[in-house]
Amino acid sequence: MATEQGHVAESHEAQANDRIGFGFWVYLMTDLLMFAVLFATFAVLRSNTFGTPEYHELFSLPLALAETLILLTSSFTAGLGMLAAGRGDKVQVLTWFGITFLLGLTFLGLELKEFSEFIHEGYTWRSNASLSAFFTLVGTHGLHITSGLLWMGTALVFIWKRGLNAPLVRKLTLLSLFWHFLDVVWVFIFTIVYLMAFA
Amino acid sequence: MSEMIHTPAPNHKPHHGTVASYVIGFLLSLIFTLVPYYLVVQKILEGNVLVTTIIGFAVLQLIVQVVFFLHLGREKKPHWNLIFLLATVGIILMVVVGSLWIMHHLHYNMSATDVRDKVASDEGVYQIQGTPTGTCANGTGENYKVELKDNRAIPDHVEAKQCDTLTIINLDAAPHDIRFGSHEMLIPYAGEDGKNIRPGRNMIITLTELGTHTLHDHTQHDLSASFTVNR
Amino acid sequence: MKEFLLGKLDAHALPHEWFTIGGTAAFILGAALIIGLITWKKRWTWLWKEWLTSVDPKKIGIMYFIVAGFMLLRGGLDAIMIWLQQALSSGDSYGYLSADHFQQIFTAHGNIMVFFVAMAFIFGLINYIVPLQIGARDLASPFLNTLGFWLYVAGVVMVNMFFALGGEYAATGWLAIAPLSGTQFSPGVGVDYWIWSLQVSGIGTTLGAINFIMTILKMRAPGMTLWKMPLFTWGSLCSMIMAVTVFPLLTATLFLLFFDRYLGMHFFTTDLGGNAMMYTNLIWMWGHPEVYILMLPAFGVFSEIVSTFSRKRMAYYKSNILGMLGVSAFALSVWLHHFFTMGAGANVNAFFGVMTMIIAIPTSVLVFTWIATMYKGRIRFGVPMLWFLGFIGVFSVGGLAGVLLAVPPADFQLHNSLFLVAHFHTMVIGGVLFGIFAGINYWFPKIAGFRLNERIGRYAFWCWIVGFMMSFIPMYTLGIMGATRRLDHYDASTGWQPFYVLMLIGGIIIMIGVALQLVQIIASIMQKQRLRDTTGDPWDGRTLEWATSSPPPPYNLAVIPEITSRDAFFEFKQRGGLPRAKYEAIHMPKNTAAGIYISAFAFLASFAFVWHITWLIVVGIVGIIVCFIARTFNDDLEYTLSAAEVEKIEKNRLKDVRSEPRQGRDDDEDMGLWEFIKIVVTWALGLIGIRRRSHGN
Repeated sequence: MATEQGHVAESHEAQANDRIGFGFWVYLMTDLLMFAVLFATFAVLRSNTFGTPEYHELFSLPLALAETLILLTSSFTAGLGMLAAGRGDKVQVLTWFGITFLLGLTFLGLELKEFSEFIHEGYTWRSNASLSAFFTLVGTHGLHITSGLLWMGTALVFIWKRGLNAPLVRKLTLLSLFWHFLDVVWVFIFTIVYLMAFA
Repeated sequence: MSEMIHTPAPNHKPHHGTVASYVIGFLLSLIFTLVPYYLVVQKILEGNVLVTTIIGFAVLQLIVQVVFFLHLGREKKPHWNLIFLLATVGIILMVVVGSLWIMHHLHYNMSATDVRDKVASDEGVYQIQGTPTGTCANGTGENYKVELKDNRAIPDHVEAKQCDTLTIINLDAAPHDIRFGSHEMLIPYAGEDGKNIRPGRNMIITLTELGTHTLHDHTQHDLSASFTVNR
Repeated sequence: MKEFLLGKLDAHALPHEWFTIGGTAAFILGAALIIGLITWKKRWTWLWKEWLTSVDPKKIGIMYFIVAGFMLLRGGLDAIMIWLQQALSSGDSYGYLSADHFQQIFTAHGNIMVFFVAMAFIFGLINYIVPLQIGARDLASPFLNTLGFWLYVAGVVMVNMFFALGGEYAATGWLAIAPLSGTQFSPGVGVDYWIWSLQVSGIGTTLGAINFIMTILKMRAPGMTLWKMPLFTWGSLCSMIMAVTVFPLLTATLFLLFFDRYLGMHFFTTDLGGNAMMYTNLIWMWGHPEVYILMLPAFGVFSEIVSTFSRKRMAYYKSNILGMLGVSAFALSVWLHHFFTMGAGANVNAFFGVMTMIIAIPTSVLVFTWIATMYKGRIRFGVPMLWFLGFIGVFSVGGLAGVLLAVPPADFQLHNSLFLVAHFHTMVIGGVLFGIFAGINYWFPKIAGFRLNERIGRYAFWCWIVGFMMSFIPMYTLGIMGATRRLDHYDASTGWQPFYVLMLIGGIIIMIGVALQLVQIIASIMQKQRLRDTTGDPWDGRTLEWATSSPPPPYNLAVIPEITSRDAFFEFKQRGGLPRAKYEAIHMPKNTAAGIYISAFAFLASFAFVWHITWLIVVGIVGIIVCFIARTFNDDLEYTLSAAEVEKIEKNRLKDVRSEPRQGRDDDEDMGLWEFIKIVVTWALGLIGIRRRSHGN
C-alpha cells in the first residue's frame, strides 16, 4: 500500500513538472513575441537618426563579439550545470552555475559600459527615434539578463542551504531554459542590430 | 517522502542531453558566430547577399540552440513545445515582415504631418491646437489675440511671423462657428478647418503656413478677420 | 522634498468637478457600505479565507463575475451619458458635457467594456466551466490564476482611480492612437492611467491564458482526446492561444508608449524621427484579434447550448472546430483593415481586404453548424436558447456589415462613421455579451445550485433585443447619412437629432433589460427552494460539468472517469450513470494570498509611474520581486484529501442528489414581474410598519 501511494505521489509530481515546464515554455514564447515587437520597431525606425552618427560609426564590433561569446559560453556552462543537477552533484551544480552567473554579470557590465559611453558622448534614448529603439531593444534584453541573474542568485543560495531537492532542480531546469532563450534573443540582436549596421 | 526529495525523479534525465551534445552545440554556436563576424569585418560579401547570409547564420544559430541546448523535439508526443515554437516563429515573421511592408508603403504615401493631421481628424480629438507642429519644433514665438465681441472681430487684421500663435477668444454670449477661408470657399489653415468656439472659450492656432488667410463665422455674414504670416 | 514624496501629485489632483466629486463619493459610499456590512456580519475572516485567497477556479470565476457585473453597470452608465449628450446637443443646444469630458467618457466606455467587462466575464466562464468540462480538479497553476485575477482587479481600480486623483481620464479614444496620446498632445495623467490600467490587467490576461493552455492541453481526463473535447473548451483553447499570441504585442506597445511619455523617447512622437503610424500598426495587431479572443469562447457557449437545447449531438462537430481554428488563424492577418485610409496603397489594402473577407467563411461555417444542429431537433426555448437565437440574428447583420467594410473602397466612404461603431457593437454585444448572458443563464444552476427565473429572464431578453435594435439600426442609418463617430455636437440642419433620440430611448430600454436581469437574479434567490437543482443536471446536459452536483465540490469530480466519446456525460447516462470506481486520495492546492500582495505592489508601482513618484516605484518593484521569490521557493503548496475523507464528503453530498432528472416543464410557475413587485412593496411597507410599531412602544 505504501509503495503504491509513493508511486502515485511521484507520478503526480512528474505530471506537475511536465505541465510547469510546458507553461514556462509558453511564457518564453510570449516573451519572444514582445521581443518581436521591439525588433520590428527597431527595423522600422533604425534609419531615423536625425543627425546622430550612423550605427557603424557608433558601435564597436569587437565589443559586441565579446558579449556574444560570453553569453554563448554562459549558455554552455549552464548546460553543464544541468547535467550535474541530473547526476545530483551539488558541488558541480554550484560551480557551473556560479561560472554562468559571473559570465552573465560580465556581459551585463560590458553592456552597461557601452550604454554609458553612448550617453557620455551625448547619444541618449532622447536623441532620436532610432536610438530610442536601440536602447529599448538592447536594454530589454539586459533587463531580462538581470532578472535571470537575480533568479540564479536566489536559486544558488537555496541550493547551497537546502541541498539539491526536486523542486529546486525543477527551478534550475526552467532557469536554464530561460538562459538559453536569452542566448537565442541575443544572437538575433547581435545579427540584426550590430552586424547589420556594418553590412 | 524524504527519499523522493533527495533523489530527483528519474524522468528528468533524458531531457538534459549529454556532455558530448553540449560540447558539439557550443562549438557549432561559436562557428556560427565567428563566420558571419568574419564576413562582415572582412567585407567578403556585400549588400543584400551579406544581409541574407548573416541572417541565415542567425537562423542556424537558433536551430543549434534549440536542438542542442533546449533539447526540443525529444519530448513525448504530441510535441506541444515544438508546435508552439514553430507557430511563434511564424507570428514573429508576420509581425516583423508585416510591419516593415506596411510601414514602407505608409511612409511612401503619407508624410508624418499628413498622418498626424489625419489621425487628429479621424479620432475627433481637438488637442492638436496651440501646440508646435513639425515646422515649429523649436517652440513658438509671440502670441496675438483676436477678440470676438458684439459679433465683430477686434482687431480684424493681424501681422505675425511664422511660428507665432494666434488666440481667438469668444467674448459674446452666443457661440461662434469659426472657419478658415471665406463663406464661399472654406480653405483649411495648416490642416485645421476651424472650430465652434463656445461663449467664454478660445481657440489657439500655431501659425505654420505662410501668406494671408481669412477666418469668419460660418453662421453669420458680418464677422470676419484676416491674418498675414511672414517669414 | 514634496516633489520627492508626491511626484507630480498636488492639490489640483483632488476632485473638483461634478463628475469627479460624484464618482469619488459614489465609490467611497459603496466601499463604506460593503465594509460596514462585512464588519457588522463579522465576515472578514470568512471572506479572506474562503474567497479572496482562494485558488479554486470556481470561486475565482464567481469573483470575476461580480467585479465584471459592477463594471458592466459602470460602462453602461457611460454609454447612456454619451447617448444623452448626443440626443441633446444639436443646433443651439450644447448638451450637458464639455467636449473634453465627452471624449473621456467614450474612451472610458470602450476600455471598461472590452477589458474589464467582456474579458472578465469570459475569464469567469472559462475558470468555472473548463476544468469541470475536461474532468480536471484544478488548473495547472492555481497561483497564476489568482495572480491573474488580482492583477485584473488592480486594473479595475486603476481605471477608476482618476475620479479620486487626477480628475481626468484619457481623452484619446479607446486605443489612445499616437501621437495624440503622447505628452505633446495629452500632457495630463489621463493617458498614464489608461496605459497602466491596461498594462496591469493585460499582463494578468497573458498569465491567465498561459495557465488555461497548460490546463486544457495537459490535464484532460484520460481518454478525452482533442477530438472529443467539448466545444466550449475548444473555443476557450483557441481564444487563449490567441491571447498568448497578441497580448505580448499589446504589452510591448504600451511599454513603448510609456517610454515616450516617461523617458522622453521618440517612438511615436511627431518629432525627431518618431513614427506615429507604427503605433497604429502595432496596436491593431493586438486590437483586431482581441475581438476574436472575446468571441471564440462565446461561440463555444452557443455550441453547448444549441446542442443541449435541441436535444441533439452537435452537428458537424469537426467543421465547427475547424471554423474556430480558421477564425483564429485568419484573425491574425487582417489588422490593416483598421487603417485602410491611412495611405498604405492599393496592393497592401487589397491583400488585407481579401484576408478580411475570407475570415467570413469560417465564421459562416460556424453559423451553419449551429443551424444544422437545430435542424430536426426537439428544441426547448429556454432563456439560454433565446439568447442564442437573438445572437444569430444580430450577429449575421453585423457580420454582413463587416464584409461590406472589408472592401477598401467602401471603407473609404464608411470609415470613421457611426456605421463602423454600429458594426462593432452588433458584433461585440450580439456575439460576446449575448454569449455571456446565455452562458450565465445556462450554467447558473451549476454555479448557484438553483436555476434562474425563466419568466423574468425572457422579459429581460426581449428588452435587450428591442432596445438593441432601436439603438443600433438608427446608428447604421446615421453612419450612412454621414454622421461621424464621437460627435459631441452636430448642426440642427443635419436632421440627425430624431435618430439620436431614438438611440437614447433604445439605450434606456436596454437599461430596463439590465435592471430586469438583476431582478431575475433576486427573484430566483427568493424562490431558490423551488428552483433548486438537486440532480446536478437540470437541462439534460451532455458534457462532463453536469456529471457532478450543483454546486460542485472543490475537487469537481471525486472519480475521474475514462472518456470514450464526445458527449461524455450523455453517453454515461445512457449506459446507466457514471462508472463507479474506488475513491483515491486527491491532491489539492492550498490557498494563497501571494497573488493579492503581488497585485497590490503592482498597483502601487503603476500608480507611482503615473505620478512620477520614484521611491514608490522602487517599493512596488522590490515588493513584487520579494513576493515572487517567497512564493516560488515555498514548496509547501498542496494538501491531500485521503480516500476515506473523499468518501465521507461524497456520501454526505450524494445524499440529496436525485438520480433522475426532473420531469416536465414548470417554467411558467416561476415568479412573474408583478409578483416580484408585490413582494418588494409588501416588504417595504412591512419595514415602515415595523418602525411604526417600535415607535408605538
